[in-house]
Amino acid sequence: MTKVDYGTIFKNGIFGENPVFRLALSLCPAVAVTSGVKNGFLMGVAVLFVMTMVNATVSLLRKFINPKVRIPSYMFIIATWVTVTDQVMAAYQRAVYKDMGLYIMLIVAFAIVLSRAEMFASRNKFLPSVVDGASMGLGFLLALVLLGIFREFLGKGSLWGHPILGTKPLLIMILPTGGFFAMGLMMGFLNWIDRKFFGGSGSGGGAH
Amino acid sequence: MKEMLKIILSLVVIFIAAGVIMGVTYKYTSPVRFYAEKKEKEEALKEMAPEATDPIKAAGTWTVHGKAYEYYVAKSSGRPVAYIASTAGKGYSSHIKMLVSLDRAMKIKDVKILHQQETPGLGDQIEERELFLDQFRGKGLLQLVLIKGETRENIQAISGATISSRAVTNGVRDGVQTLVDKYGNGLRAATREVTK
Repeated sequence: MTKVDYGTIFKNGIFGENPVFRLALSLCPAVAVTSGVKNGFLMGVAVLFVMTMVNATVSLLRKFINPKVRIPSYMFIIATWVTVTDQVMAAYQRAVYKDMGLYIMLIVAFAIVLSRAEMFASRNKFLPSVVDGASMGLGFLLALVLLGIFREFLGKGSLWGHPILGTKPLLIMILPTGGFFAMGLMMGFLNWIDRKFFGGSGSGGGAH
Repeated sequence: MKEMLKIILSLVVIFIAAGVIMGVTYKYTSPVRFYAEKKEKEEALKEMAPEATDPIKAAGTWTVHGKAYEYYVAKSSGRPVAYIASTAGKGYSSHIKMLVSLDRAMKIKDVKILHQQETPGLGDQIEERELFLDQFRGKGLLQLVLIKGETRENIQAISGATISSRAVTNGVRDGVQTLVDKYGNGLRAATREVTK
């Protein structure tokens, strides 16, 4: 049994295999909710919670879940934690829920949650799985916040709802079309940094 | 056969455990949610008629776009001071839900958007007070016509968001019409003719 390297798992989730910019998973929610920093951040928090809990549960139950029915089992575990998140948010975060309610339930279908359960949590012990879920969730959160800053600043001239520029320089940025532009530009920029300064090979991955 | 039973058992156990977790969460969060929603609604109504001292109660329901909406009479020590209707309009990408309140002369006191999901940056400007919503204040039923271009007499559309502006104007007009029909005795005959 090799020693688990938590640092690597952590870095992997945020940089090496960043869900949005590297794995290119869960792009549609990433485009849908990042018209503002606040929405992006809150969605990120919800996903962070769900991913950590799902990875923890799947890892604990990995011996018990029959491999033949593992996908329905994972989906049900994900649906449970998403429902819990949804209900808690609806009760205690009314203002947020008004904006986000529609998207919270969609976390069930996020490719990144299922893929981490299948790829990591079902094969690893409890603690590494929790760390993996948390860092992947954190990576997702950071990506959404970055996109949110970029789009809200250019599209609305504000950040977190506070007006900064007073004008709307590039309105298209907060429309769905602009979401794809922002995503592409950001991904390209990060790949460029990676190649230029860290000698990486950039990201591949297919969109979901 | 034995494996099948094992599969069934493992699924059943997971489903039951998940059901228990969701049930417990629901038990503790649903009352909080229920009261929060009730309070939000009361506060929204209160904002529409701040001078009302009695609790605002629903007086009945009416139908627009196939859905039932409530209307209310706001009273101050037993005497009506304002009439409020919840109403809706079909926007560009969502049903826009709103509240409209009338004073006793059947002029609009205030309009409030409760829920909309119009295009960010364009259609969602209908929520902006100075730009759009405030021009409803003081208007009567016959003035609720959307105009593309400068107007003080009617309602001026937001440029680039005509459909959303029209949805709000029509929704407000339907709500006002209902209230006028119910409570605006003298105005009834005159308005019917023109709006049809």
